[in-house]
Amino acid sequence: MKDFSLRSYPVKWLLLVLLLPFLLIQCRNKHKNSVFEVNPVQSLPPSAGKDKQKTTQQFISILYANLFQKALSANELVEITNCITSIGDKETAHEIVISNFMNHSDVRIPSNTEMRDDVDTFLDETYKRFFVRDITEAERAFFKDFIASNENVTPELVYFAFTLADEYNYY
Amino acid sequence: MKRRKFLKTGGLVATGAFAAPYILPSGRLFARTGSQLAEHVVFVLFAGGVRQQEAVSQRYLDDSQGVNIPGNILYNLLEGDPPDSKIVYGTTTDLDGDTPIPKILGQTIQKQGVLFKEVLSRTTGHYSGLNGLVTGNYYYTQGLKSKPTLPTIFEYARKHLGLSATKTWFVGNGISNSVPLLNYSLHEDYGVKYGANFLAPRITFGDQGFKHLSNAKVYHPEEELDPIYQMKYFLDNVWLASGKTIDTINNTDEEKQDIKDFIKEMFNKKSAGTIAMPPVSDNSDLETIGYACEVLKWFKPTVTVVNLHDIDGCHSNFTYYLQSMHRADHGTAHLWNYIQTQIPEMADNTVMILVPEHGRNLEPNPIKDENDWLAYDHSDDNSKRIFSMMVGPGIDGDLVIGSESNRVGIATDAVPTIAEVLGFKDDVMNAGHIDVKAKSMFDHL
Repeated sequence: MKDFSLRSYPVKWLLLVLLLPFLLIQCRNKHKNSVFEVNPVQSLPPSAGKDKQKTTQQFISILYANLFQKALSANELVEITNCITSIGDKETAHEIVISNFMNHSDVRIPSNTEMRDDVDTFLDETYKRFFVRDITEAERAFFKDFIASNENVTPELVYFAFTLADEYNYY
Repeated sequence: MKRRKFLKTGGLVATGAFAAPYILPSGRLFARTGSQLAEHVVFVLFAGGVRQQEAVSQRYLDDSQGVNIPGNILYNLLEGDPPDSKIVYGTTTDLDGDTPIPKILGQTIQKQGVLFKEVLSRTTGHYSGLNGLVTGNYYYTQGLKSKPTLPTIFEYARKHLGLSATKTWFVGNGISNSVPLLNYSLHEDYGVKYGANFLAPRITFGDQGFKHLSNAKVYHPEEELDPIYQMKYFLDNVWLASGKTIDTINNTDEEKQDIKDFIKEMFNKKSAGTIAMPPVSDNSDLETIGYACEVLKWFKPTVTVVNLHDIDGCHSNFTYYLQSMHRADHGTAHLWNYIQTQIPEMADNTVMILVPEHGRNLEPNPIKDENDWLAYDHSDDNSKRIFSMMVGPGIDGDLVIGSESNRVGIATDAVPTIAEVLGFKDDVMNAGHIDVKAKSMFDHL
């Protein structure tokens, strides 16, 4: 039988005696009084980054670019801005300007078939085009249901609603 | 049981019958605080800086160009004979302006109402002048391109009378300077939600408007507009979570549709040449008056303010100034005549008030026009000399108050006067935002 006596291994016993207090300290329950929690994370709506309201000029320029996929001329920008300024109710003025745009032949809107064949893609692109953000699942559910249950809803009407929306007035 | 049910039902009906007339569209529970002289007020901001000498004093060229020819070129408004020579203010037959515009009214506004012959304008600038006229106070902390800081007459009327937005209109002759900003103030107790509808018809229905507004696509109300609004409301509800809102003057959906129908109809009438223009409509003020008549006929507003401005051409052209003043008289007469003859709901039920925002200088500037006549700016004490007029039901006729040596009234009297006509003067005065010197014109009589 192997002899582990102090006399046989004096150095080892000495080291053991010296290390024992450290081992005891390391083995105590450090988290005895700790409370485990979840870090608070602020949940923001998808449009939270938009905090500046567009000026009339910005609104018109962006609207035109969104609908026609090209830039509005400086002269026309001034004229349309004047028209909006000449009407006190800006929402009504915007609505009239947008419905005039919709009467132009070169307005770029997907066909009804394209929208209904792939509603998900249409919605993704519409949110990015007008709101410059991703669609949420709640929004997707609403629009998919709304489009499916309303035969009269065309891409033009969807675009019209987006351009009239309050969020479209912010960037 | 039957008796108890009868009493309960009867009590509810009686309570409803008593309360219902006092629940106004705004939710206001109490009716106006005073008696009402008329249901409508038309306030003409007349008209870009009128020099007292050529207006009430009827001096024509006498006090301005050193030519001894007096005369009254506001002969729809004021009693007095027109000039008998050097006629330049009319339409052109042989020479420029040689034919005076025929008088519209059988009886002058002065004969029909009250003329305050010498009134104080505490300011000599357009912005502060217009601001004072619509707010009843000369207090402002900012310059051009800013909204008033104190409530306007539109906000007072909408808040205290519970009016919807289309019952208050500000018709401007353009969109320059601060004109489109005067339809509501930034005051925290009033502000945008009580603002008036604004229209600058020469833009809306002019070349620019025709190009960008007249070709609106017509959507089916149920099959197309309804889904658009449903989707918009969903998007707006999502946006509400951001806590940001869009400031609006709160036209209801029905009112917005009414405005769109009005605009469409105006384009139709313009194409057909049937806008209610004055017999002569060869300047921007007269065009503005024509469309103001259409606004009155369509919406029958409670408060309408019409801003005229062509007279300000006097900075560089005295002849044009005389022509513009004569046309402002013609236009105002047409407006009054149109109300009385073409709008039955407003005839004999409308008070018209007329006040210039300020006068013009005593001494000319060096600019001469084609007749070698000197032009006038507005900056000295003479520019603070103005007049005012009011006419309508309950107002004495043929009454002249004050004189050159006895000034009575201040331009800011207009707001309390409008409030008194509509029966809510106490609300306005108690709000505490009116000039301390201002009081209803009726209090001067």
